Amino acid sequence: MEKNENMLADAGMKFFGKMTASATHEIKNALAIINESAGLLEDLSIMASKDHPLSPIRIKDISQMVTRHVQRSDLILKKINRLSHSFDLSTQSADLEKTVCFILDLASRLVEMQGVTVEVTSPISPITVNTNLFYLKNMIWRAIETACLANKGKNRVMVSFGTDPFAPSIWFSMDTVKNDLLDDLFGSKQDQALAAHLDISIENNNNNNGFGLLWPKRI
Amino acid sequence: MSEKVLLVDDEKEFLEIMSERMTARGMEVTTAESADQALAIIGKKSFDAIIMDFQMPGMDGMEALKAIKNKKPELQIILLTGYATVEKTVEAMKVGATDFLEKPADLETLAKKIKKAKADKMLIVEKQTEEKIKEILQRHGG
Repeated sequence: MEKNENMLADAGMKFFGKMTASATHEIKNALAIINESAGLLEDLSIMASKDHPLSPIRIKDISQMVTRHVQRSDLILKKINRLSHSFDLSTQSADLEKTVCFILDLASRLVEMQGVTVEVTSPISPITVNTNLFYLKNMIWRAIETACLANKGKNRVMVSFGTDPFAPSIWFSMDTVKNDLLDDLFGSKQDQALAAHLDISIENNNNNNGFGLLWPKRI
Repeated sequence: MSEKVLLVDDEKEFLEIMSERMTARGMEVTTAESADQALAIIGKKSFDAIIMDFQMPGMDGMEALKAIKNKKPELQIILLTGYATVEKTVEAMKVGATDFLEKPADLETLAKKIKKAKADKMLIVEKQTEEKIKEILQRHGG
């Protein structure tokens, strides 16, 4: 039992570390642009002091660029803050589609780095589960990460939701996939601990080109 | 003579602004938005230094570094990245990166590193030429 809890904590730390590392990289990119914009303004002011005309349009462009990247950084920080607060309650109601979209938004750079695009098909009506939101996000990230890695070099991962409202499920399918690769990528003890904690079972889909996260049938 | 620099980063606005500032300092700047694009450019043009982000979509940074060094061993590569662990930096240096700067960086510091990279590259090229001349002379019994 204690071993399982350690596995769960390890999985959570790994997930949080990966998300914050990616977010801080993006913030640093935005800061670099803000920094260079300040430098450019300084360059232009030096040139203006040497009788080079200063273009108001150019100044406005630079100012707008700074605003854009401040907003970009703020948005990234808001997402990380939202992820951090997922741990506030041990159990809460979570909308599956919204949670998938949140993770895809938070990890967009990581997904883009794999050269993969993820398409989400909305369920007919919202599907909710009572669960630990942080670990649910962790599990969904692991599923997306696995799907992207198994699909590397191809271009699409499709996410859909089961139609039975009493048996929630999320399905991840790929253009092509090697099943043994899926087993290697998605069968770690940390993944198993996550699935056990969330009461989820992981199953291959009928077409053998993906897998699903399945919750037990509600009575 | 101006330094010829290839600037590689997937942030388009960063490329534009850096390119403008570096050009104003007398450098000749070419930009690329991916490692693949950079590889295609170095096949056609000669550079004193490459300034490259390490984490970009597409080809992995380490892979890109190896490919560039393989194609043009004399090229001096300065990493400019927001994502830097000590382990990654050491690994990159082993693979062939010559210097490293963290974003956001000071342009004057970067300019100094580019000047040094150019001098280092010239030394390497001179040494290579010297060795080639020696080889030719030996072949001809000189």
